[in-house]
Amino acid sequence: MSPESSTEVIAHSSPVAAGPAELPQTTAARVGSAAGLALLGLVAVLLLGLGANPGAAAFELSSPSASLQIPIIRVPARGTAVALGALVLVLSGWQLAHGFRRRGRRRALAVSLVATLLAFLCWAGSGTAGTVIDMLGLLQNTIFLAVPLVLGALAGVLCERSGVINVAIEGQMLSGAFSAAMFATLAHNLGVGVVAAMISGGLIGALLAVFAIKYLVNQVILGVVLNVFALGVTGFLYDALMQPDQNTFNSPALFAPVRLPLLGELPVLGPLLFDTNVLVYLTYVLIAVVHVGLFHTRWGLRTRSVGEHPRAADTVGINVTRVRYRNVIAGGLVAGLAGAYITIGTVGAFTKNISSGKGFIALAALIFGRWSPLGALGAALLFAFADALQTVLSIIGTPVRIPSAFLAMFPYLATIFAVAGLVGRVRAPAADGQPYVKS
Amino acid sequence: MKNSVRVMALLGVVALAAAGCGSKPSSSGTSSSAAAPASSAASSAPASSAAAALNACMVLDVGGVDDRSFNESAWKGMTDAKAANSAISISYVSSSSQNDYTPNLNAEVAKGCNTTIAVGGLMTDALKAVATANPTKQFAIIDSATGQPNVYGIQFNTAQGAFLGGYLAAAITKTGKVATFGGLNIPPVTIYMDGFWEGVQYYNKVKGKSVQVLGWNEKDQKAGTFANSFTDQGKGRQVSQAFIQQGADVIFPVAGGTGLGAGAAAAASGGKVSVLWVDTDGCISAPQYCPYFVSSVVKNIAKAVTTYVTGAASGSYPTGSYIGTLANDGTGLAPFHDWASKVPASVQSELDQIKQQIISGAIPITSPSQPK
Repeated sequence: MSPESSTEVIAHSSPVAAGPAELPQTTAARVGSAAGLALLGLVAVLLLGLGANPGAAAFELSSPSASLQIPIIRVPARGTAVALGALVLVLSGWQLAHGFRRRGRRRALAVSLVATLLAFLCWAGSGTAGTVIDMLGLLQNTIFLAVPLVLGALAGVLCERSGVINVAIEGQMLSGAFSAAMFATLAHNLGVGVVAAMISGGLIGALLAVFAIKYLVNQVILGVVLNVFALGVTGFLYDALMQPDQNTFNSPALFAPVRLPLLGELPVLGPLLFDTNVLVYLTYVLIAVVHVGLFHTRWGLRTRSVGEHPRAADTVGINVTRVRYRNVIAGGLVAGLAGAYITIGTVGAFTKNISSGKGFIALAALIFGRWSPLGALGAALLFAFADALQTVLSIIGTPVRIPSAFLAMFPYLATIFAVAGLVGRVRAPAADGQPYVKS
Repeated sequence: MKNSVRVMALLGVVALAAAGCGSKPSSSGTSSSAAAPASSAASSAPASSAAAALNACMVLDVGGVDDRSFNESAWKGMTDAKAANSAISISYVSSSSQNDYTPNLNAEVAKGCNTTIAVGGLMTDALKAVATANPTKQFAIIDSATGQPNVYGIQFNTAQGAFLGGYLAAAITKTGKVATFGGLNIPPVTIYMDGFWEGVQYYNKVKGKSVQVLGWNEKDQKAGTFANSFTDQGKGRQVSQAFIQQGADVIFPVAGGTGLGAGAAAAASGGKVSVLWVDTDGCISAPQYCPYFVSSVVKNIAKAVTTYVTGAASGSYPTGSYIGTLANDGTGLAPFHDWASKVPASVQSELDQIKQQIISGAIPITSPSQPK
């Protein structure tokens, strides 16, 4: 990606605007990327293909309770992995001989990564005879893990696109998780819990806004302090209220899955996306709202202009401070919603530090996703998929047992490599973290 | 600008105070001499120097005193000791990360504690150093032993209790697959998983069945399924869901608070899946999931701590180390509660027989993580 000037970013309606000219790659770059693909292909053929046990790898794509059953897919593990690896090698050869154009190159890389992943699954599935990898379950778990990350990253998008760094996502989530459990229990109403979660996330957002915008405090340090603050306050209130009297303060109900008519009956997609709880549906809506809002509305244009060049925005009459306050608090509301998902959306009762660092992963997803809602969604899904996959890998016996310590770092490694390969350089909003002082 | 510094400082103070409050002892059972927080080190010295009184302190591992797991059991041992002998004053500090171990241990020593109990094997290295630096002070550590004369090791051969749990799980599974996962791949966790695995293998041997264990194999200590957290319930639920998707219907989480996610997954399965709880009696520590808890593999930390503290208060510190086994009720299965009628009587009597055979040594436990 060539660095775009700030005016361009404001002018374009899409955050990933293609560069102006499609220059052909240099020979060195072409050979380099071909070698990268060739390496993937060779890994797929030699390690995964020939390393797989003879026999079938089986994949399941429908849940046992679905009305429309998809038969279990069985493929010869070795042959399939070798064929997928060969496909990658062909792409590599084409790149070496002719060179893909820019867009084609990215597609070729994406196809190669997916092919290698499928080869990997064939290899993994061949380890123990009779293993059936539940692909639908794997994808369901991916969504399950991704939702708080996506919401957290959206909170970051709202905040940082207007030029305020939000390290406090974790604290906003944690206070949201606490309030959701507590107020849903007190009111015997899950809706009240969601509203309370959003308000408490919004309150931390408001603290962040006041100190960052009014008092010009260093925003990274401020975020860290707010995280400690949320951890301490929720921990204290947990000890003081919830622990002595779980029934009164900490026994919320749980959002039950709601299967949507028609959409819920679709094979694969139905149970995956449309048979889940209302907080997940709300997440779908929020992704769309933030994306459209940011890139296709006046509010979005103003937000981005304030995040890129506040002085210019001020000159044309935009109230920089007001835009930032509004966005930071809105971000807090969304992060609070992520907190509600962590307790009453998935497990119910609150326990100390239940967010366990999800806010920081969300922050990373935001950056890997180039501060765009869809990019953050992709990064969060990728991380969640790698995390869900490592669990499955540890359960089914792979042909070579993978040490649990390596599996633990797998989601992080996978995310870093995929981001390095697919995303490349990322650029923060130009005024991110810089307080605006009217001169 | 001056104003902003002041406001920022205020927020910082509130944050730190709140963080401190989060780990402050609950006032119940804390006598006045021990109520001073760890930060005001010297102030409690006069009261604790009284000859008859024993000032027993505890450094908890991360997760908090109410983790419904081993911190909670250890603290219960302290409160029980105080109930038995009112001359004992008790207090604890929590650790919010592994970086807190050494400062917490040092603070307890400086505070004038007669004995400091470190809860958790992860504190071994920190305690070893602190005990070397303070040879006149007495210490105890749970889940470890350092071999030092002033450190009493309190360990548990929980593989014995988990063996019974594994046998029970194998006996009640309908799908022929049972599962276990840990919080971290460390011996105090994997010893449970070893015992569970052995129990299932024993069931297969005597019954001629082939019940599979997902998530752990004693023969392959480096692999296995781990949540890499003791607090992330969501991760615990996701791991449990993955087990259920791969066909398991009895899950044994060895991951503290993370394991509560297994309860949520079992509840979502509508009763098809049951959970074997760990460390404490699940129906007491997490009653909301009691209908799904077939039983619990307990580690009787409370009793061991009480014995140690009351022993120390009576004048002589126990020396050497303690190993909790089935024979001394240091480990075992909790009552079946809701499952009493669902677990066949034949299985219950087989469990009693196996217990006796493990005590007598007729059934050997092979876990490499057993305390020696």
